[in-house]
Amino acid sequence: MEELNKHVNTVNHLLARYGVRFGIYKNNTFKEQLFPFDTIPRIIPKAEFDYLDKGLAQRVTALNLFLADIYNEKKILKDKIIPEDFVYSSSGYLPECEGIMPPKGVFSHISGIDLVQGDDEKWYVLEDNLRVPSGASYPLIARDLCRKASPNTFSHNHIEDNRNYAELLKKTMDYVNTGGINVILTPGRYNAAFFEHSYLAEKTGSILATGNDLVVEGDRLYYQEYDGEKMQVGAVYRRISDDYLDPMTFVPESVIGIPHIFDVYKKGNVALLNAPGNGIADDKGIYYFVPKIIKYYLNEEPILNNAPTYLPFYEEDRKYVLENFEKLVIKDVAEAGGYGVVFGKDLSKEEVADFKNKIISEPRRFIAQEVINFLDLDVLDGDKIVKRKADLRAFVLTSDKAEVWKSGLTRFSRNPDSAIVNSSQGGGFKDTWVLSQ
Amino acid sequence: MGIISIEKANNLMWLGRYSERVFTTLKRYENSFDMMLDMKPDFYIEYCERLNIPNVYTSADDFIRKYAYDTDNEDSIFSNLYRAYDNALVMRDFISSDSLAYIEMAVFEMKKARVSDSPLIELQIVRDNILAFWGCIDDCVDDIIIRNLIKVGRRIERLDLCLRHGDEKQELKRHFEQIQLYGTRARVQFDKLNYYKLAYELEKPDTDYKVAIEAVENLIKM
Repeated sequence: MEELNKHVNTVNHLLARYGVRFGIYKNNTFKEQLFPFDTIPRIIPKAEFDYLDKGLAQRVTALNLFLADIYNEKKILKDKIIPEDFVYSSSGYLPECEGIMPPKGVFSHISGIDLVQGDDEKWYVLEDNLRVPSGASYPLIARDLCRKASPNTFSHNHIEDNRNYAELLKKTMDYVNTGGINVILTPGRYNAAFFEHSYLAEKTGSILATGNDLVVEGDRLYYQEYDGEKMQVGAVYRRISDDYLDPMTFVPESVIGIPHIFDVYKKGNVALLNAPGNGIADDKGIYYFVPKIIKYYLNEEPILNNAPTYLPFYEEDRKYVLENFEKLVIKDVAEAGGYGVVFGKDLSKEEVADFKNKIISEPRRFIAQEVINFLDLDVLDGDKIVKRKADLRAFVLTSDKAEVWKSGLTRFSRNPDSAIVNSSQGGGFKDTWVLSQ
Repeated sequence: MGIISIEKANNLMWLGRYSERVFTTLKRYENSFDMMLDMKPDFYIEYCERLNIPNVYTSADDFIRKYAYDTDNEDSIFSNLYRAYDNALVMRDFISSDSLAYIEMAVFEMKKARVSDSPLIELQIVRDNILAFWGCIDDCVDDIIIRNLIKVGRRIERLDLCLRHGDEKQELKRHFEQIQLYGTRARVQFDKLNYYKLAYELEKPDTDYKVAIEAVENLIKM
């Protein structure tokens, strides 16, 4: 490991050479930033990963069943496992998706599940990302460069090779492909994750397309070639949000979507990965119900733990949240990317009072969680090794079954006083090694 | 044959044009730099006239810095390198990460040269990276259309620049022949009127350079 750490600057230089960066908008200006890489990996022993593997596959399988049910039979609502209003008032629920069953019944093809390990070494799921989760490309390319920088590190340790991600992704796309080419749909180069879109297109042999390249004709989706030919598209791994996917169905002002693509999808003539409407299952409020969802659909006990969560929507929970505000972390269900997260202990008396009023007036908008003391990870800081907060985004790809990628994106906070690990807020990343024995 | 949309074909051709513009301009810039040291200090005025770019420079020194590095100046070499970069970045899936990396490195080296005490020497590395980029395209990209779209873009730009600098007829004809070769391989549609106009101008003894430049600028319609 020390040998690899000696090359941290070289590996970061190579990551820059390959354009590994992400974009952010600050003060209405687009800026590209490098994503700092730390060579000290997160190491997950085999037995521990076997446990995570089972738990993650179970969770994603159940969430896929939940999505199929919510947009079709709604048994879980009829059986009053989840309050009906709770689903229908969610911004992630799309009435346009009612009655649609996507190709092969898969809704969440690529799921990014955010976990943290507490200082008691227990793993907790913090968030399910079932819409457009990003991040797999970073450990994928970093591994490739680390193997070059320090071959001995990899020949002397038993580490699962993570470079099969593109293969898994291609398999996932092929499984639901309705006939035609695979396309990765990007909003364009000024998207925060454009590096990932283009890199995954290269690695999976898919075509990277923008909305301008695709056209709907006669209930089919086509990629328009420069010589006038049209190629049918069977699967679209879309990296744009539901709102902007089809201006005829969703936001009419969208200039990055494809008019009528949703109609083609509804008729089963193209697969959209992930399916529109998935936002209902990764709503921070629905997260509270995931253990119940697992029990309901699979008749199994959940393997992975949720962080202890309270829904101010319920009177009893609201009372607890208001009484224990200072020791909780409050999350706005409509926000993402580390935004809308407030630690009660960090607020002034006036701010606490204001926030409590917000919770009382808009209880559906927030969830509250017990603060988990993360198990800090070692991070290189110049010549020193320091401890920093980190999370893990695990990727689960669903084709005929849910498969967990034997790696993941470990993000860490570079600020010693912060638990916010998001790249948009200055965080760095690590590779995640899963030991094979 | 790969699957290429109109937008991507355009990106590939402009990638060829801008990378060529940076490469050839760097060579010309180095010669001009040398000339302005002790032979023709005001040569930059003529240089701007030839290229039909606004002379926004106050002196040879000002030209040497701003024409190379000022990214607020849309005619600068660096601005053109960024345009090459913009077109390359969206083509990773076609040209490969390995090829794209050379454009990334050219940008990186340009930034280094900008703050260097000896910018001219450092610019050699920018040129090396562009050459390596073209070499990598030939080595890594199997698709004949992709390779030739870049090449036809390069040759159009080269001919355009050579016309503006009033180069020898023999040189101009050589680039035109290559445009025809690569254009055919890339299956591009030449604009017939401009194609024949250009061929005619390059053949006749008293070539009208302005007409030829206009024809080469409108040679391909996408």
